[in-house]
Amino acid sequence: MSNGIPLTEALARYRSDAELGPLPEPVDVEALLNTYHPDHLRDSVVKLTVGANAGDSCQRELAALLQAEAFIDEADLAGTPVTDVDVLVIGGGGAGCAAALMAAEKGARVLLATKLRLGDSNTVMAEGGIQAAIEPDDSVQRHIQDTLRGGHHAGDPALVSAMAEDGPEVLRWLIQQGMQFEQTTGGDLHTRRAGGMSTPRLVHCRDYTGLEMMRVLREAVIQHRSIEVWEQSPVVELLSNETGQKCVGAVLTSLLDDRLRIVRTRSVILATGGLGRLHLNGFPTSNHLGATGDGLVLAYRIGASLCELDSFQYHPTGLLHPSHLAGKLVTEGVRAAGALLVNALGERFIDELQPRDVVCAAILRECSEGRGIRVDEQRVGVWLDTPRLERAQPGLLEKQFPNLMTRTRIAGVDPRAQPLLIHPTLHYQNGGVVIDVNGATTVPGLYAVGEVSGGIHGRNRLMGNALLDIISFGRRAGAAATSNRDRGPKKVTLEHVNRLRRELTIAGMPMTQRSPQVLPDYAAGGAWDR
Amino acid sequence: MTIKNPSASTADASQSVALTINGVAVNAHAGVTVVEAAWEGGVPRVTGVGCMEGVCGSCRIMLKRGKQVSVGLACQTFVENGAEVIFLPPASAPRHHYELNDFKDGWDIHERFQDIFPEAARCRHCHGCDVSCPKGIKVEEGVAQAAAGRFRDAGETFFECVMCELCDGACPELIAPAHVGLFSRRVTAHFHLRPPNLIHRLEELRQDKDKPGMTREEKDE
Ligand SMILES: Cc1cc2nc3c(=O)[nH]c(=O)nc-3n(C[C@H](O)[C@H](O)[C@H](O)COP(=O)(O)OP(=O)(O)OC[C@H]3O[C@@H](n4cnc5c(N)ncnc54)[C@H](O)[C@@H]3O)c2cc1C
Ligand code: SF4
Ligand code: SF4
Ligand code: FES
Repeated sequence: MSNGIPLTEALARYRSDAELGPLPEPVDVEALLNTYHPDHLRDSVVKLTVGANAGDSCQRELAALLQAEAFIDEADLAGTPVTDVDVLVIGGGGAGCAAALMAAEKGARVLLATKLRLGDSNTVMAEGGIQAAIEPDDSVQRHIQDTLRGGHHAGDPALVSAMAEDGPEVLRWLIQQGMQFEQTTGGDLHTRRAGGMSTPRLVHCRDYTGLEMMRVLREAVIQHRSIEVWEQSPVVELLSNETGQKCVGAVLTSLLDDRLRIVRTRSVILATGGLGRLHLNGFPTSNHLGATGDGLVLAYRIGASLCELDSFQYHPTGLLHPSHLAGKLVTEGVRAAGALLVNALGERFIDELQPRDVVCAAILRECSEGRGIRVDEQRVGVWLDTPRLERAQPGLLEKQFPNLMTRTRIAGVDPRAQPLLIHPTLHYQNGGVVIDVNGATTVPGLYAVGEVSGGIHGRNRLMGNALLDIISFGRRAGAAATSNRDRGPKKVTLEHVNRLRRELTIAGMPMTQRSPQVLPDYAAGGAWDR
Repeated sequence: MTIKNPSASTADASQSVALTINGVAVNAHAGVTVVEAAWEGGVPRVTGVGCMEGVCGSCRIMLKRGKQVSVGLACQTFVENGAEVIFLPPASAPRHHYELNDFKDGWDIHERFQDIFPEAARCRHCHGCDVSCPKGIKVEEGVAQAAAGRFRDAGETFFECVMCELCDGACPELIAPAHVGLFSRRVTAHFHLRPPNLIHRLEELRQDKDKPGMTREEKDE
């Protein structure tokens, strides 16, 4: 089998005004996914042996981290300084900031601890937009239906309804915090239609929606009197009560001085985001540096149930070239605006606005069947036909996608003249910690919101639903966590760590690996000594 | 600061570039960013990094080339022979405090601004902020617009701001331009963004909720 057409040859062959043939007949979607989607790669999935999800399927590299030894034991706790707060929020992305702001609004003293800098997150990188059913011909019910269908009906209808119903109110709250959105000349919020939506529902701030959301929420958190922020302070373990059944705090380290700290609290809200930086199945990722799945590991060890651990979203259009941008995203908004996908032979091969998993599988099919464009032995991709879009709608790229234009300009590529070479990139964790409509996990005292949580997006997330879910459930959990008025912990222990260790020993599992990961190995130099 | 990759098109990855990062001598491949060079070179504690695409503002550096000193973002800066790079510590806590919920309406907003950011009226037009902004924002102009009460325009000037706060560090008057920019954007949305389609839907949902004795299923019919 040939490995595609070399880049120079494909470029020479490419013409933005070439006649494109009709789309091929739609294929059997199930067969396409089963053959080409990375979730279905051989050996990529194993069964968990211990913990709340024993017996369930889980991606192999993630399973190793979930069933690993902790970094902290009782000896570490002695003499460690203790801080008491009402609510501890772990993670300084959109979900964590929304939860902290809501808890503070409800009167709690809040500590927000985050691994890197406040606002350094997947949220800040989101480009495309946020969904909310606000157009006259749209409805909350349609939003629910689209979301469930997009998730292959694996999502929890109660969570999906809660999120969709919150949509308009979430936009109002964001505007109150000071977030701007694109408007029509009449002053309406401008909406776009993107993959899996039956009608336009994507509200946006040019292609900087996440940046605008994050800088506004970051400022609101920094300015809030009742919220204290600790940066460069990853949580490396949770704390439980004497029976190991309730979450009562966390152990943090500092990337600056390696000192441990204990935080004791009535409610912990996990908002640690996704896991792209685990580079599952060897894929590049669109995620920020801190996305190492820590929240899943912490929650699992303390006994929380997780879901859909074998389902990840690979975004169809990650940049393949130039190499320092490898894995970085070209927002789906570009396809929503009309950009087509074209293989090395100059043919379209899939309806570009199919759900992401389908488009992703189709691209991987083109690449593996020799119709891709080859950069070198490892890297093969297809074209995202931006010059054709520019011909059809001159000036559109510059006006609506300044972020994309800036990034490519620095790399010396002009998407108006040259098509972008793209390949699927590990983008989003579809599943995660099981929650109820208040973001409560199956462990008392522990909440989970945002990308770390699961059950909303089923086995495939639609564009714009993540930014909605983080604010919707972030606010819900912030309020619920504050209403927890019990007396707070008498004693903080590592009983849950001992419990999992016993289970691992009985199961005869190796305990050589420790988790959470905290930083990818290539970036860990000296900062986080395992 | 050069943010254009000099070797982007001609990238010859086998060529080696010698520089120092946080005092550590590093040999890097031509065409890589300072972030990649720091990791490959084993420079310890480089954790002021996040998105690696210039939108999170974390990777603040000072860059010395001979006598010339500049600031920038490490993920947008490509390695150069002889450069000395220092990753900057996190910015100190902000000195200006406000909560939007404390504001009654938009009529006294200019007065409020002067109370919160009294230094903004004292800009010396030294261009320190403009020179340090890695996004090429006309920071000085934005500050002037805000000081004149033109918050919508000021906010637009700061549209591409990635909150790196390098301009704050450069300002001799401690104006905190980054926060002036965010204030301008936030009050514009808070007081003036009133989209009819959103307001209409919120009102529909409110009426739905008030209708007694109906389950959600019935309403959705
Ligand atoms: C490039 C890109 C584009 C996207 N575009 C869109 C879009 O257009 N629309 C949409 O709806 N969604 C989009 N998404 C998805 C969406 O942005 C994310 O799913 C969402 O923002 C996640 O928010 P979060 O708050 O849960 O996590 P994050 O924003 O990632 O925040 C998690 C925070 O937790 C911190 N953290 C992690 N581990 C620890 C620890 N151990 N201790 C302390 N802190 C920790 C992290 O450092 C980070 O600050 C995009 C994602 C990416 C990567
Ligand atoms: S305006 Fe200031 S904070 Fe914003 S990007 Fe420029 S230097 Fe950074
Ligand atoms: S650095 Fe400060 S004083 Fe100088 S021009 Fe900018 S805002 Fe004015
Ligand atoms: S790492 Fe985010 S701006 Fe450089």
